[in-house]
Amino acid sequence: MKTFFSIIKYDYLHRTRSYSFLITLCISLAIAYTFVPEPDASYSTIRIADYVGYYNSAWFGYVTAIMTSIFLSLVGFYLVNSAIKTDTVTRIGQITASTRITNFRYLLSKALSNFLLLVTIVVIVFLMSILLFFLYNDGYSFDISQFIIPYLIIPIPAIFCISILAVVFEVVFTKYTVIQNIGFFFLFSYLAFPSLSENSSNMYEFDLFGTQIVMHQMEESVRNLLETGDDKGLTIGYVLGNTGETKNFKFEGVNFPISFIISRILWCVSGCLLLLLLSPIFHRFDIKQLVKKKQLFSSEKQKTTVHEIELSKLKKSTHNYGIYSLVKTELLLFIRKGKRWLWILNCIGFILLAVLPISIAHTIVLPILWFLQVHRLSDISSKEIYHDVQYFAFTSYKPLRRLLLSQLLAGIVIMLILALPLLIKSVFVMDIQSFIHIIVGAIFIVLLAITSGIVTKGKKLFEIVFFMITYGNLNKIPFLDYFGGLQHSSSYVLTLTLLTIIMAGIGVGMRIQQIKNQ
Amino acid sequence: MKLEIKNVSKRYSRNKYGLKDFSMTIDKGILGLLGPNGAGKSTLLKMIATVSKPTEGMIILNKNNILKDANYIRKQLGFLPQDFGVYPNLNAFEFLQYIAALKGIADKEIQFKIEQLLNGLNLLDAAKKPIGSYSGGMKQRIGIAQALLNDPKIIIFDEPTVGLDPEERVRFRNLISDLAQDCIVILSSHIVSDIDTIADQVAVLKNGSLLSYSNQEKLIDRIDQKVFEVAINKEHLDNFKNNNIVISTSRKEDKIAVRYISESPIDGSVSQTANLEDAYLYLTKTN
Ligand SMILES: Nc1ncnc2c1ncn2[C@@H]1O[C@H](COP(=O)(O)OP(=O)(O)OP(=O)(O)O)[C@@H](O)[C@H]1O
Ligand SMILES: [Mg+2]
Repeated sequence: MKTFFSIIKYDYLHRTRSYSFLITLCISLAIAYTFVPEPDASYSTIRIADYVGYYNSAWFGYVTAIMTSIFLSLVGFYLVNSAIKTDTVTRIGQITASTRITNFRYLLSKALSNFLLLVTIVVIVFLMSILLFFLYNDGYSFDISQFIIPYLIIPIPAIFCISILAVVFEVVFTKYTVIQNIGFFFLFSYLAFPSLSENSSNMYEFDLFGTQIVMHQMEESVRNLLETGDDKGLTIGYVLGNTGETKNFKFEGVNFPISFIISRILWCVSGCLLLLLLSPIFHRFDIKQLVKKKQLFSSEKQKTTVHEIELSKLKKSTHNYGIYSLVKTELLLFIRKGKRWLWILNCIGFILLAVLPISIAHTIVLPILWFLQVHRLSDISSKEIYHDVQYFAFTSYKPLRRLLLSQLLAGIVIMLILALPLLIKSVFVMDIQSFIHIIVGAIFIVLLAITSGIVTKGKKLFEIVFFMITYGNLNKIPFLDYFGGLQHSSSYVLTLTLLTIIMAGIGVGMRIQQIKNQ
Repeated sequence: MKLEIKNVSKRYSRNKYGLKDFSMTIDKGILGLLGPNGAGKSTLLKMIATVSKPTEGMIILNKNNILKDANYIRKQLGFLPQDFGVYPNLNAFEFLQYIAALKGIADKEIQFKIEQLLNGLNLLDAAKKPIGSYSGGMKQRIGIAQALLNDPKIIIFDEPTVGLDPEERVRFRNLISDLAQDCIVILSSHIVSDIDTIADQVAVLKNGSLLSYSNQEKLIDRIDQKVFEVAINKEHLDNFKNNNIVISTSRKEDKIAVRYISESPIDGSVSQTANLEDAYLYLTKTN
């Protein structure tokens, strides 16, 4: 048992002692800050028709707990879903596999260290919510239990299950990172909006995120206040501009029924059971062999005779500081990345872009098609470090001007080739603005990948941000529309261009520093 | 060719030096760097290769300060890091082409050269397979090949023979001995036998300082006539070790044969011919 806990402990330490985790925490803090809008902010997070709660302890505690549960369930999965993969890459897995630890224990230890990681973020958000309470204090008294109870009952079990799900996905879809990423997204969408029939309160138990019960209670309170039976439009999530004529209602928290609390525990228990069930099919790091069997070449096949060569007699090479062949290799790396059948998806997207009406193609197909490239783009500027070739890369001739530029070009080329049908179409209908916007969009997203890769030295940040942007695109949130599907204003293109340039500046600046201080 | 390292220090944290006030001048030929783990070999080599910067001091190649103008050395540098990775999805050809492009070598002629290098390193048969499927020694040879792509004049190999089988070690030695005429070749190793057959000069490092820097004969001269072998009882070994510099021990029937260095050998000792390994161990154990 003691060894079990020390596995979790060191796994947790290893993962939290990284620079990228620090950045994650900072970003979480920033996001938590927005969970309860400032009194005169121009957006809302949770709002029932014209009503938001008085800024008392319960409102702060519950709103931030709900937001954490939903936000961290979605993002958290992507934060922790490479726990086993990391062990494969660092080859620690092979050592682990040779010890006596059982599959179940190993998987559980990974799930628990995932959980601890996410709990760390929850704690940060929790502290932030208390800070916010005092910051926006309206004279209500501070009641710590209104913070602790909702956090314990709503997000904690949710992220526990998410931590387990992350491991489950890794076990089941070991080699298909793409399926892991996209599959979870659909699962999340399904879970986040359970088909709760009106007033059937006994369905709350099936709500993994545990948010419905609170939100219905809020709606109920407003309904009682208005004494009308008609449905009140509850909005959740960041909604801009619906802050006119805000009225307040008093929210006192929720008395969770005991059955609900038990259901939260049952969720966690069934998660563990699922792990136990799946543990026999865990690969136990015997995956390299699968690759090798296919590609193994025996020495019997050896045909060529080996010659001793004399280096000094070899023809001297000439210099060519162009970047053409660098771009070529970067493109090759893009194309080789991921499974071949993914290219079939890309082809389908490409054809859809060509045949669907321009508006659908532009607003729906393009963002999805581009998002499918997320794993190609995400390590565009961090792959040297990931693959340990940075000594070659950073000591090359003018690495910044040549290598970084060729990575940028290769990325843009891929994105624009995929968008080609749409580009051609928009020229035909003389929609030059869309044409420009798509090009700026491609540059923007590639630079976003490059800069976040340089800043975090990893690919997670970009993956999550790109995911959220695309999620926003499909929900038609205007200011996330980087590819010009919804907005047709030149000022937006200009802003985007400016943003792109600033990002490029940050990225290049940081990379110069990295090359200097190796 | 002349590489001057002047009062170079590399400080990792407040009291932790990787290298301390280190100076040496290197001429063309093959220089072998020896030293125990953590001596500072990689620290030194990385700084010469402009991968990391010294905290203090200067490194000068042919009167050019390479700390100011890194591209001056990079143009003529071949560097094999101690730890390096590859892009597993590329095959050997593609990866070497990529490195060639990074080094700024024209695309057309490089094909033939890569082929020659792969042949010389016995990798041609595997050249079209993804590097991800290579064995450890094969990957190491890819690293050696990439260092030689650009006709380097300064060649730095940090533990090049790690993972190579005996046959490949010999092939590697033959390959680089040819380079010594007009290049500076520096290689580090803990394995003295890798160095002694090819190195013109040998430098021994320990704790971030230079213990000795000379040709092999001079180094061995220091312990000439001082190396002995004697058979002792097992129970006396610990005591013997405390009073003498023991190079190695081996089992001999019910006794232990001890090779050691001493000015005044005990009775029954047989004088031995000193070799580089004796000299190296003597240096590192006494300092
Ligand atoms: N990045 C680093 N941060 C802190 N200390 C370091 C770092 N790199 C090396 N050191 C320290 O500097 C000293 C010299 O290390 P170096 O890697 O140069 O040794 P080495 O001679 O190459 O050893 P080995 O034979 O094991 O490769 C060691 O004590 C090591 O702990
Ligand atoms: Mg080393």
